[in-house]
Amino acid sequence: MSESTVRHEPAAGEPAVVQPLLELRDLDTDIALRRGTVHALDGVSFEVMPGETLGIVGESGSGKTMTALSIMGLLPHGGRVTGGQILFEGRDLRSLPADEVRRIRGVRMGMVFQDPLTSLNPTMRIGVQVAEPLRVHQGVGRAEARERAIDILRRVGMPRPDRIVDNYPHELSGGMRQRVAIAMALVCSPRLLIADEPTTALDVTTQRQILELIDDLREEFGMAVILVTHDLGVIAGRADRVAVMYAGRVVETAATATLFRTPRHRYTEALMEALPESAIREGGENARLYSIPGLPPDLSRPLTGCRFAPRCRHVTDECRTTDVALSAGSHQYACLHPVPAASAAPVALPAPVRVEATPEPAQPTAAPDEPAGTPVLSVRSLVKNYAAHGRGVLRRGAGQVSAVADVSFDVGPGETFGLVGESGCGKSTVGRLAVGLERPTAGQILVDGTDLASLTGRERRRMHRQVQLMFQDSYAAMNPRMRVDAILAEPLEIQKVGDGAARRARVASLLDQVGLSRRVLERYPHEFSGGQLQRIGLARSLALQPRLIVGDEPVSALDVSIQAQVLNLMRDLQRELGLAYVFISHDLSVVDYMADRIGVMYLGKLVEVGPARDVVRAARHPYTQALIDAVPSVTPSAATARDGVTIRGELPSALNPPTGCRFRTRCPLAQEICETEPPLAGDRHQVACHFPLRPESSGTPVEAGTAA
Amino acid sequence: MVRYLITRLGQALVVVVLVTVIAFLILHLLPGGAARATLGKEATLEQLAAFNHDMGYDRPWFQQYVMYVQRLLHGDLGYSYQLNQSVVEAISQRLPKTMVLSLLSTLLAIVLAIPLGVIQAVRRNRWPDYAITSLSLLAYATPIFFMGLMMIILFSQVWPVLPPEAPQGFTVAEVLADPAGLVLPTVTLAIVTIAVYSRYVRSTMVDNLNENYVRTARSKGLSERRVVLRHTLRNGLFPVITLLGMYLPALFSGALVVESLFNFPGMGQLFWQAALKRDFPILLGVTVIISIATVVGALLADLLYAAVDPRVRLRGSAS
Repeated sequence: MSESTVRHEPAAGEPAVVQPLLELRDLDTDIALRRGTVHALDGVSFEVMPGETLGIVGESGSGKTMTALSIMGLLPHGGRVTGGQILFEGRDLRSLPADEVRRIRGVRMGMVFQDPLTSLNPTMRIGVQVAEPLRVHQGVGRAEARERAIDILRRVGMPRPDRIVDNYPHELSGGMRQRVAIAMALVCSPRLLIADEPTTALDVTTQRQILELIDDLREEFGMAVILVTHDLGVIAGRADRVAVMYAGRVVETAATATLFRTPRHRYTEALMEALPESAIREGGENARLYSIPGLPPDLSRPLTGCRFAPRCRHVTDECRTTDVALSAGSHQYACLHPVPAASAAPVALPAPVRVEATPEPAQPTAAPDEPAGTPVLSVRSLVKNYAAHGRGVLRRGAGQVSAVADVSFDVGPGETFGLVGESGCGKSTVGRLAVGLERPTAGQILVDGTDLASLTGRERRRMHRQVQLMFQDSYAAMNPRMRVDAILAEPLEIQKVGDGAARRARVASLLDQVGLSRRVLERYPHEFSGGQLQRIGLARSLALQPRLIVGDEPVSALDVSIQAQVLNLMRDLQRELGLAYVFISHDLSVVDYMADRIGVMYLGKLVEVGPARDVVRAARHPYTQALIDAVPSVTPSAATARDGVTIRGELPSALNPPTGCRFRTRCPLAQEICETEPPLAGDRHQVACHFPLRPESSGTPVEAGTAA
Repeated sequence: MVRYLITRLGQALVVVVLVTVIAFLILHLLPGGAARATLGKEATLEQLAAFNHDMGYDRPWFQQYVMYVQRLLHGDLGYSYQLNQSVVEAISQRLPKTMVLSLLSTLLAIVLAIPLGVIQAVRRNRWPDYAITSLSLLAYATPIFFMGLMMIILFSQVWPVLPPEAPQGFTVAEVLADPAGLVLPTVTLAIVTIAVYSRYVRSTMVDNLNENYVRTARSKGLSERRVVLRHTLRNGLFPVITLLGMYLPALFSGALVVESLFNFPGMGQLFWQAALKRDFPILLGVTVIISIATVVGALLADLLYAAVDPRVRLRGSAS
């Protein structure tokens, strides 16, 4: 392949380009599926200026990824751009010959995808994959391609790039693979980088590193970036301008600060109010989240009027019939009843949040900091090791993976205990141990004061009724061939509760509790949306009237608006039934909203435990602080001005965890003494650190923390 | 790696021993018995008893088994009175010929099935896919003896270009000297295999073409040809390796029906005739050979897998 004609290096003397680098005009995209054609994009228009970062934000099904794929010409099987123009550097990609478009795609554009674990070819060496565009589009020789691959890997912050080039993807961690993907996208120095949820599959501390990397590279390469994400916080900190998408359309675009300060479209407004962050800021942890009712529309049907109308609080008849175009100007929105501009608060906060009145006085059944009576769940010096072994028949032990190392905590009746940490920290293992799915290597689990290990057979099974589990992916956790009635009745049958009639009555009342119609009883799991499945999952875990539910990332797979519905439901049920929760999540803002007390885990250890407010706003462990700092916030000022504790690098292997404090290998404060293990010390707000960031606060929680 | 091999060979040995025990038991529990089959209807009871005593057939079965294994370890698979030659000799005469037939047909099948499967995957749910799918299903559903007969009728009767009988040569060289005779049996045997393999290749290629890494490859502006051949094909062929490993025993056992149909003196025919005549030593010998081939085939498939897929780590224990 010859030197491409479109490749013209940006010369220093070139006059400043004023025209947009990319301009979409009325883009329509259809996806033909067996059940009909989905009109994934309907008249999408926006511009990206050279060197600018445009954030595209929206929930699943909003068309944000389809927009990115349409630009790149990478639509899935059955997908087709049916109308409009994609002007890149002034030329319409839709009217250029296919070979030309391929070359533009390979050289002038680059794309980074969501899941770094599956986005690289598993059987090709890193260096070959990274250098492939050079070899194909620029006819670079093998040796030079390798050198340039090493060079670009170095520039994306890859340690020892000269070794990495010869590795295969599976030998790298998720964060490292995403760096490889970025290197691959940048190897031809593109003018436009499209990053589609580049950090969604990564932990927050890694997310922060990757987002910063993209920012730095944007300046270094002078390229424009389209950052596609569902996470308003990610956009807030990184984008110059934002386009909000809903149901295949752009509903609002504005400069980032403007959008977050004064959203005009009612959907944007509702989306921001649904964030746990907003509720906490406005009304404390006891405020109810605003949840957008209903579901996004089915895009395979013809739609008229504003697509958000069926879920909007401010809807009028006009909204349902009139197709509103985007308004003109720099802040464009397509809404007949926009948020009044005057009501904009002058602070760097989203629009005034109308916190819904809590139905009952927001008094948790137990005081958050002092669990009354016997704890429902008491975990004592819990240890879980997994044998690491080979695949042969002999399966000789090759060391142990220390998944949970000496973890203790209590959960009082009606209390919510939040467990946070990055993937691999052991939080899910603690959950599985607590519900008895696995046996601990050492330590005790007491349910209502009774040691589970002391029970056998029937008694043990009865005790397990008290503690139930709720999963992240309820669909995967349900038998697809069972109807909802069978799914909900199964726990009752296993535990031989009541007769057939009693079980049916119980199942019906469970559905009432979780706010689902009784008509769903005869339906199968695949007929439900993610939010509905979480409700069914919650109903199943409630079937045996437990006193404690362990929720393992129960809302992590849900969109913000749906997440708010499920979180509200969980809180309502807690109040009604006096339930206690162990709420396991990687999402600190959700845990902050839900939990009375929070435990922070790192590599199998509990490094900090305390009242939720204190832990989040006055963290004592450097790891906790780093975690808090890494969480993207929708408050742009907070997102940009951060210089707290930054941690670099990756989680060490749990196969041979560091001695002493397990965080010391990444801790900026680490000293020699950290080689000895710090005990979990303190009164209400405990920390396992030789150099806690601050002393334990006495009495009232610290209000103005460093987190904001 | 070495450790892995040792472990796997150990496993293989266990399997082979179990197979010999089971085969031995089944054969000796069958009614009739070797003596009657060997000496014929006219033999007296005394003659039968004497024969059984000479052969050790009057001893308890486990003693017989021990004797059998002892001989086995010396490379002695027994002696067939009906063929009047040793089992090793009988097998070694026929095995190479069967392997010629099987290898040729497998090779033909691979060479045709992979491109067919790839074309189907790339043009999925369009006419080339539908056409090939229909033909594969037809080939798959047709009984092989019927297919063979049709081939004979078509290509040696209606349009007499090929001989209806396989080469009758005694050695491999003689068989190969008659390539025309090999065409029909090879093609007949290959047709079904092509149908199976191309379905396999199609489905794994379709799966792989939907993988994220293929989308990444396309995002680099690669040509579709490069995306398919350089990125997808290798990953899409892994399951075929397993299939090939499983096919190895068939190389040894031979295609029973095809060998009979085309009168090809190979392993399939040997086994079939031995079964009719209750020729225990031959039956046992062939069974042992096939069981060894099965185990070795699985091992080879695993090793090959490890060679082409960097994610597979072979370890007897972690190190």
